[in-house]
Amino acid sequence: MTTDTHKPDDPPTMHDVDKVGSLFVVYFVVLGLAVANILLAEFGHLGNLSLPVQLGIGTVQACLVAWYWMHMRRGDKVVTLTAVTALFFIFIFYVLVLADILTRWRAAI
Amino acid sequence: MSIVIADEPRVAAPPPPEPVVPRRNYLNTEYGVLSWLLTVDHKRIGILYLVSISAFFVVGGIAAGLVRLNLLSPTGAILTEDQYNRMFTAHGVVMLFLFLIPSIPAVFGNFFVPMMIGAKDLAFPKLNLASWYVFMIGAGFAVYAVLVGGIDTGWTLYPPYSSRSHTNVTPGVFGVFITGFSSIMTGLNIMVTIHKMRCPGMTWGRLPLFIWAMYATSFIQLLGTPVVAITLLLLLAERVGGVGIFDPAIGGDPVLYQHMFWFYSHPAVYIMIVPGMGVVSEILTCFSRKNIFGYKAIAWSSVGIAVVGFLVWAHHMYVAGIAYYSALLFSFLTMLVAVPSAIKVFNWLATLFRGSITFHAPMLYTLAFLVLFTVGGVTGLFLATLGTDIHLHDTYFVVAHFHFVMVGGMVLAYMAALHYWWPKMTGRMYSDFWSRASATIIFVGFFFTFVPQFVLGYHGMPRRYPNYPQEFQIYNVLSTAGASILGFGYLLPGIYLPLSLFFGVKSPANPWSATGLEWQCPSPPTTFNFDFVPVVVCGPYEYAIGVDQLGRGLPDPPGPGDAASPYRPVGPAGPIHKETEVVG
Repeated sequence: MTTDTHKPDDPPTMHDVDKVGSLFVVYFVVLGLAVANILLAEFGHLGNLSLPVQLGIGTVQACLVAWYWMHMRRGDKVVTLTAVTALFFIFIFYVLVLADILTRWRAAI
Repeated sequence: MSIVIADEPRVAAPPPPEPVVPRRNYLNTEYGVLSWLLTVDHKRIGILYLVSISAFFVVGGIAAGLVRLNLLSPTGAILTEDQYNRMFTAHGVVMLFLFLIPSIPAVFGNFFVPMMIGAKDLAFPKLNLASWYVFMIGAGFAVYAVLVGGIDTGWTLYPPYSSRSHTNVTPGVFGVFITGFSSIMTGLNIMVTIHKMRCPGMTWGRLPLFIWAMYATSFIQLLGTPVVAITLLLLLAERVGGVGIFDPAIGGDPVLYQHMFWFYSHPAVYIMIVPGMGVVSEILTCFSRKNIFGYKAIAWSSVGIAVVGFLVWAHHMYVAGIAYYSALLFSFLTMLVAVPSAIKVFNWLATLFRGSITFHAPMLYTLAFLVLFTVGGVTGLFLATLGTDIHLHDTYFVVAHFHFVMVGGMVLAYMAALHYWWPKMTGRMYSDFWSRASATIIFVGFFFTFVPQFVLGYHGMPRRYPNYPQEFQIYNVLSTAGASILGFGYLLPGIYLPLSLFFGVKSPANPWSATGLEWQCPSPPTTFNFDFVPVVVCGPYEYAIGVDQLGRGLPDPPGPGDAASPYRPVGPAGPIHKETEVVG
């Protein structure tokens, strides 16, 4: 894990290497969330809340992977910008696909 | 801005002496098959890609030839209907995924991006070699699929048919899935290299436009390719595992596949064409001896195409059952992407205006690109317009439009790049006469091949049909005749370029009197490109004052009167004026 004195713009040092233990902790947390999601799908009867809750769990998993395993927390501004750009394009994809699906009931050509 | 026409060239600085040809260069520093298969030199990897995709181009070209031959007769001349389906799919899969997408980025991007920004290699040399291996593994699957048994779905692999077809869809899809990773690796490598490895003085505003184009291309590769990878994986899950995702018979939505597929595959068109646009900017300035007109406009239009290109995918789906309002929205958005493309074309034309133009092979290919790409772009607007697309959708009009952009645009830009940089890559000049002849033959053959297809499509002949009414035969015969001319034109470089390796006279370091950094290396370059750290002092196209990016004067290329020149017979036929006008 990084030390408290480390700043994002500082060059990486040997102390920036993640400890194996911390990586495994993140791994098991991600696994645990996956199991929770599966159990929730099978046994949780949340009704309309089911989709947002499960997507929320998936988002937490993705953030953990990005933050720890992809080292986003140490990435410089260009790396952060790249990641945000990717999310932005996924957002565009979702919005425009939903724009089609949610208005199909009106008419198609 | 004022324009001054100068009668005599104004030399801002004396040209550098011809660099001593090093005893060792990247071609002869090591010998043997293993030295190539284990190399991490970006130039050698570029050559590996060149050889590989040339082979795939031949495979895809043969498939195209068989398709065209079959269409000589209204009932199919040589193939059964099933064979015909497999043949046009083979043509599409091989040409798109194994030739067009890797062509300029993997060959010339690998070879020239480091040299043009003054670097010794790409940022991740081993990743670069890995990308070639991944590409070849994926290509192996894809070629196996299309040649052994074949695929009959068309290159777009639309479900539900691709989920149910009994042909080799699974290995084909898997092959395309794997080659996508190669594309991501190359894009990542080039993007990091441009960010991190520019030499001193090579600011963003001094980058050659080819580099800007490669940067925009890498952006698309990095953002788009993962989406198609996931899409193909889902298709495999449905096909192999029976998971209902796209097939409505098991609860899927086939239009969802089209959304996901085209979210990548339309920007993939720009992966193919934007690097070609970069090549055109390099060659037009060099062979018209002009500073580029509208540097910033061209540079940012590459980025604009990369971004807006992601917003237009559903214009492929107007009649697939998407919502009317959605189709309207995508029609409008598609119009937007014409703007940056048009900006480029207008700036290129302005660059040519009052230039001292010489018609060597790279320039002939580039001028052909300008004409054909413009036709392809304008006919694209017919298809972007919702009303006309209802009539033209899935007809030969689309086939003609697509080939005008991809073959008339991209392949000719690839040929232009090959002829422009061949002396640098190999250290040899090729036949001036035959190269000009080839460019001319390809241009003529192209028109004969694809203009009749516009007529066919407008009159309603659908694409991918092996049979057609009698009245369409004349256009199909014309198209096939044109394809034979086109094939002959492509055959010529396949002869004179390899021959030049053995019989071509040696090329100087800067045979075209160009300004880019890559021409400051010897021909062929040494392993690490530069013997010194280049320091860039000016922009990439200072033809007006006649200096290269290091601030040194430009050499005069040899002319016909230069009898002492060893490369006179095959070099440029006339002296290129170093300067005709000063813009300032």
